Amino acid sequence: MWCAAAAVLLAGCGVQPSGVTGGGEAPTGVAPGVTLYFVDAGGELRPQLRPTGRLGTVSDAVQLLLTGLGDSDLRTEIAPTTTPRVVVTSTPDVLRIEVPLTIDDVTPLGIDQIVCTALGVHVQGGGSRDTRAQVRFTLPTPESEKHRRCPVTG
Amino acid sequence: MTRRPRPRGLRARLLVAFVLVTVLGAAAAAWSSAGSARTALVTSTQQRLTEAVTGRIEAVVPELRYPPDRAALDRLRAAVGSNTLVTYEDMRSVGGADTGLVTRELRAAVRSRNALVTQRITAGGRPWLLIGTPVTITAPDGARSPSGIEVYAVRDLAGVERQTDGLTRSAVSTAALALPPAVLLALLASRSVLRPVRDLRDTARRLAAGDLGARLPVQGADELTELTVTVNEMAESLQTSMTAMRRMQTDARRFAADVSHELRTPLSTLTAVVEVLATAADGMEADARESAELAITETHRLVRLVEDLMEVSRFDAGTARLRLEDVDVTGAVRDCLRARGWLEEIELTAAEEIVLRLDRRRLDVVVANLAGNALRHGEPPVRVHVSASREQVRIEVTDSGPGLPADVLPHVFDRFYKADAVRTRTPGSGLGLAIALENARLHGGDVTAGRAEGGGARFVLRLPRDRDPEDGRAGWDV
Repeated sequence: MWCAAAAVLLAGCGVQPSGVTGGGEAPTGVAPGVTLYFVDAGGELRPQLRPTGRLGTVSDAVQLLLTGLGDSDLRTEIAPTTTPRVVVTSTPDVLRIEVPLTIDDVTPLGIDQIVCTALGVHVQGGGSRDTRAQVRFTLPTPESEKHRRCPVTG
Repeated sequence: MTRRPRPRGLRARLLVAFVLVTVLGAAAAAWSSAGSARTALVTSTQQRLTEAVTGRIEAVVPELRYPPDRAALDRLRAAVGSNTLVTYEDMRSVGGADTGLVTRELRAAVRSRNALVTQRITAGGRPWLLIGTPVTITAPDGARSPSGIEVYAVRDLAGVERQTDGLTRSAVSTAALALPPAVLLALLASRSVLRPVRDLRDTARRLAAGDLGARLPVQGADELTELTVTVNEMAESLQTSMTAMRRMQTDARRFAADVSHELRTPLSTLTAVVEVLATAADGMEADARESAELAITETHRLVRLVEDLMEVSRFDAGTARLRLEDVDVTGAVRDCLRARGWLEEIELTAAEEIVLRLDRRRLDVVVANLAGNALRHGEPPVRVHVSASREQVRIEVTDSGPGLPADVLPHVFDRFYKADAVRTRTPGSGLGLAIALENARLHGGDVTAGRAEGGGARFVLRLPRDRDPEDGRAGWDV
């Protein structure tokens, strides 16, 4: 009887084969290029795909945004800068973007350009859509403390 | 297969039941906890492996060229680790020998669900985890679409299996550990239950053996105690009624003995008077003589009755004594019949000369009673047959009358039992057969009544040979 019991016990152990089961969301992050936001003639934000062949990081995208527009019928509301060094630190809820600009170098629409570009790359790289962006300027200003979201993608 | 003997006895049954319950319970508990631990272990391992794969993919894909070329696929495969297969349209990047394990249904699920899927399989006696996932493109607004890149990873679960085997072994050993305490507990429990039962059995045995004073100590308040109290009460009432019955019996016997004894003296006087009357009877008138003769007959009957009563009282009191001597049984029977003048009417047959140690007077009483009954109640020819075997001597008295009715047979040896209610005035006292039986028993033998082959009554006296003279009722003082 004990042998039978032991046999039953041992037969049920080990790792059993299973069917195909769902294991969560697929990883994401590939993209043919990076999407930057500029302003059109009507004063609206417009996405523009730069075919870089890869998504890249958030700081890459913001730096690319700061370097300007090239020839297009869109415009940028961020003043040109000679040293477009951008540092991005990420916490679970907030993406902190340090830009080499003062508050005088950008219009509110210009801040939205930075916010939308950064959050867009964040989401495309698999990040949460609830993440806010904090744009920190070189000189102290209350604007540096605001947690923002992109008015275009929500 | 031979059937195993079922355990007998309360102890064995209690032991088996206890051990079964305990070990089964322990095994079930250990097995179920081991089962859930095993499931949790497999699930968490699977999750860890899956998260590692997605983490590695997400770390590398933002830097990956899209649409990917061969080098990009190789880079992705290297990042995910060994045993990985990365496909994009017709391109394949394979690393590791076990990627061939990826099943067709897993591929189909990756394409149709557009999400990460897993599957456990067993191959080559080892468990494997298959992870398959597409890499998706996410639009800036969050919408996802498949990129065409698919990643398949094959991971070995042998380590998990070793851990789960360990869990199972510990479950089995836990169940086994429960065995000795179960046996111990069962023994303790059975002892506490069986001791009162054994006491009850011993007391019941003593009661059955006649020790009516046997009682059980009453302790506790369980069902066994109730049983103990009941047994005590039963013994009590049994003892009371037995005592009362014995006293009544003794009283009745003493009364009969006293009455017969007290009657003897007046009867002696009466007998003397009657004998005087008998000598004078010849000179009387006819009807006066008839009355005198009737008085004489009845007085003789009364004397015999009192003598029989006294004899029965002696048997009841246990004071009847055997006076043993070596007796030629056939000769004694013949003497008995001759003395009563019955040799003409009774056919005596005897096989041989049989010498037996017995009380000659009592044998005479028995034979005279049996033969007298046969002559009085049966029809001739009456036969007395004496025979002997190695163990006993048989004296058989048969007649050719109507025999004994079936309803009378069980009562013929009862005192004052009269078979024929109409014929109450027979010369017998009604004690003859009872006294015959007592006499036979005093010798260690008995008398039985039955039917002869011809239809008449048959009485058989059996007397054992080689009897210890001190044995039997002769020495039984009540």
